[in-house]
Amino acid sequence: MELGKANKTDAVRDANKSIIEVSHLTKYYGKSRGIVDISFNVVEGEIFGFIGPNGAGKSTTIRLFMSLIYPTSGQAKIFGKDCIKYGPEIRQEIGYLPSEVFYYEGMKVRDLLKYSASFYKKDCTKRINELASLMELELDRRIDDLSYGNKKKVGIVQGLLHQPKLIVLDEPTAGLDPLMQHNFFNLIREENKRGATVFFSSHILSEVQRLCSRVAIIKEGKIMRIQDIKTLQRENYKKVRIVAENLDPRRFEVAGVANLEKVDGTLSFFFKGDINLMARLISESRVTDATIEDLSLEEIFMHYYK
Amino acid sequence: MNIFKYEFKTKLKSMITWSLSIYAVILIFMSLYQNFAEQTSLMAEMMASFPRELLIAFGMEDMDWSTILGFYGLAFVFVQICLGIQAANYGFGLVSLEETEWTADFLLSRPVSRRQIMTSKLLAAVTALGLTEIFIWIASLVYLIIFRGDELIPLEPMLLLLFSLPLFQLFFLTVGMLVSLLVKRVRSVTPLSMGLVFGLYTLNAFGDMIGEDSFEILSPFQHFEPSYIVKYNSWNMPQVTIGLVISLLALAASYWLYGRRNIASAV
Amino acid sequence: MNIFLRELRANFKSLLIWCGIVILFSVVGYSKFSAYYNNPELLAVVDAMPEAMIKAFDMDSFNLTTVTGFYGIMINYVALMLSIAAAMWGSDVVAKEERDRTVEFALTLPVRRSRLISAKLAAVFVNCMLLLFVSWATIIVMAQNYAPDTQFYNFVSTSLWAFFFMQMIFLALGIFLGAVLKQHKRAGSLAVSILLAAYFASILTEVSDKVSFLRYFTPFKYFDAQLMLREARLEGGFALLSLLIVAVALAGAYIAYSKRDLYI
Repeated sequence: MELGKANKTDAVRDANKSIIEVSHLTKYYGKSRGIVDISFNVVEGEIFGFIGPNGAGKSTTIRLFMSLIYPTSGQAKIFGKDCIKYGPEIRQEIGYLPSEVFYYEGMKVRDLLKYSASFYKKDCTKRINELASLMELELDRRIDDLSYGNKKKVGIVQGLLHQPKLIVLDEPTAGLDPLMQHNFFNLIREENKRGATVFFSSHILSEVQRLCSRVAIIKEGKIMRIQDIKTLQRENYKKVRIVAENLDPRRFEVAGVANLEKVDGTLSFFFKGDINLMARLISESRVTDATIEDLSLEEIFMHYYK
Repeated sequence: MNIFKYEFKTKLKSMITWSLSIYAVILIFMSLYQNFAEQTSLMAEMMASFPRELLIAFGMEDMDWSTILGFYGLAFVFVQICLGIQAANYGFGLVSLEETEWTADFLLSRPVSRRQIMTSKLLAAVTALGLTEIFIWIASLVYLIIFRGDELIPLEPMLLLLFSLPLFQLFFLTVGMLVSLLVKRVRSVTPLSMGLVFGLYTLNAFGDMIGEDSFEILSPFQHFEPSYIVKYNSWNMPQVTIGLVISLLALAASYWLYGRRNIASAV
Repeated sequence: MNIFLRELRANFKSLLIWCGIVILFSVVGYSKFSAYYNNPELLAVVDAMPEAMIKAFDMDSFNLTTVTGFYGIMINYVALMLSIAAAMWGSDVVAKEERDRTVEFALTLPVRRSRLISAKLAAVFVNCMLLLFVSWATIIVMAQNYAPDTQFYNFVSTSLWAFFFMQMIFLALGIFLGAVLKQHKRAGSLAVSILLAAYFASILTEVSDKVSFLRYFTPFKYFDAQLMLREARLEGGFALLSLLIVAVALAGAYIAYSKRDLYI
């Protein structure tokens, strides 16, 4: 099963309908740039990754979606409606999981979730209980007393309790232990199968790799690249590691090889080119072990960091 | 409405505290009336025979110390200070508190418009202030009656005095709100409300002592000065209008500013 | 030293605002006074009053036709302003670490908590002194047009001491509240409440002699304006009382802050 791709038997899904349309969106904070002229679309049913280093403009973009801040120029549309003009309306169907969670003093978890639910035109009680038990969240504790990770769980439940059509995640797993992260991702996948579109902003690339079908890479306020994951990996280098005795590195210094390193008996490098050529070179050396694999998103990304 | 309910709940404690405190103030002050009346009856007679210029020079021309209502007027100014601080506290913190506590991200990402948020919060504040005022009206009436001795209290000026409180508090509520929207971040409400209230109080009180001037037109303590209301049995309409106009302008400006405000993020 | 300097800088804007307020107030006050200064009509009226009446109403002290009398009226409002400023600065300077969540930074530095308080106390003390100085300078400078005499200067100098004691009381009180209260947000509002109560008490004492005992509870009445004007002195007992309050409040602040758990 391919990650992030909609279940094709679901008749409601329309792979051509854009849930999010961003066109030439620009935001300057006074003189400092937030984001500059970014454009992209997110299609219904996909899990879209939005990755970039700190300060790249990820949170700015998300805050523009939620009309917490207003654009300097350009436009963003969600469900076909302008984010600013139709803000309250579209937010009925958006679930927002922020990176930092702050809630009102003195409130218990249950109170906050009920308060949040009161804004939506649905009855969310059942869903609240389901989500809370899934994330192992105690409903009757005071939010002030919770650890950071538990507060994040409140954020997760609060963002999903109204079964939104669009889920916007901003660094959602920071603070969660691995088991909870696992539960969380399953949860997102379930929501996605149900028909929800997911916009996932993160700099933990392994997560994005696990979940998303397409990614946009943003750096210094501009979109560097938008691509689906498979193509991104395929178009890039392969990581090769060879273990052998009496290895002569120079044999592998052919076109398409980069970052050649020899540490003890292990030779490692990146290779882009005809895989047959590489296979031949490897077989001609008496190797004890050889690994050829895709670059992780992390490693691809490092390329764009520079 | 859910926002209204929550906002009102947060104001409950302060509302009760203010109401009870001012209640105590009125009680204590009024209970001293008989004693005060004895001490000053002589003085009041003398003052009646003074040339007018002298009274003006000492800011005493409007003071009527011979009646209980006039005496109440003295306490009333202090009550105004307290109510001003309460309203200014609500005003300065109304929308800014969300940003100070970082809960703005939560509230503003709900499916509500900024206008709805503002209206709910305002209604909650006005309700809390209104309940405080009603409590004070009751306390004032009760203690005026209890401590009046044999005096008859003129109804009309008393009512005018008491009913001036809502407009008085409205001024501080709206102006506080406006100022909070003009700055980037309100880290602490107390210094601001103290500054606003005592600033306007001093502006008026000092002016009174020495003579009329132009600055005090901005001060609600001038618009609703108890000695004027008691003496002339009416509100100072031109000044009250000025105060109302300022309040309404501040209100409109606040809605406009909040609608356009960029909310800073915690990270 | 660095904490002290940082606090000075952080409070600088507030200091400027308060200085501005005091100067503005003086300007307005003096400009109004100019209408009464040496006003021939008023002088004639006062001259015509019988001696006994003058004594009864204290007209020689608070004769609005002289700058000394004028200052006698101004003095109450200056006291109020300086006290509010002191209370605000005091309560804010300690409580802000918890409010702004800088506690994790400031209090894990290699300094003892008591040194933190000392540095902050010093900084707001300097602020109060600067404000006092600006007030004094403004009053003196603007009085030059109105023939100030020795009595005026003595009056003003004595009043400075009164202001000093009042500032210290409210400053120490503010710091005490900021250091002791677990709910740091309450420090500012509690300081305000106490100040309001003190002000109210001072009004009460003027209204009725039954409650003259309240004089001990409100710094606004520790120092009698008449005494300052006529004899250019303060009552030693009340000066001592002030120092006592300051000492107790500060001691309490130091002890409490050093022993407390600090939360964010």
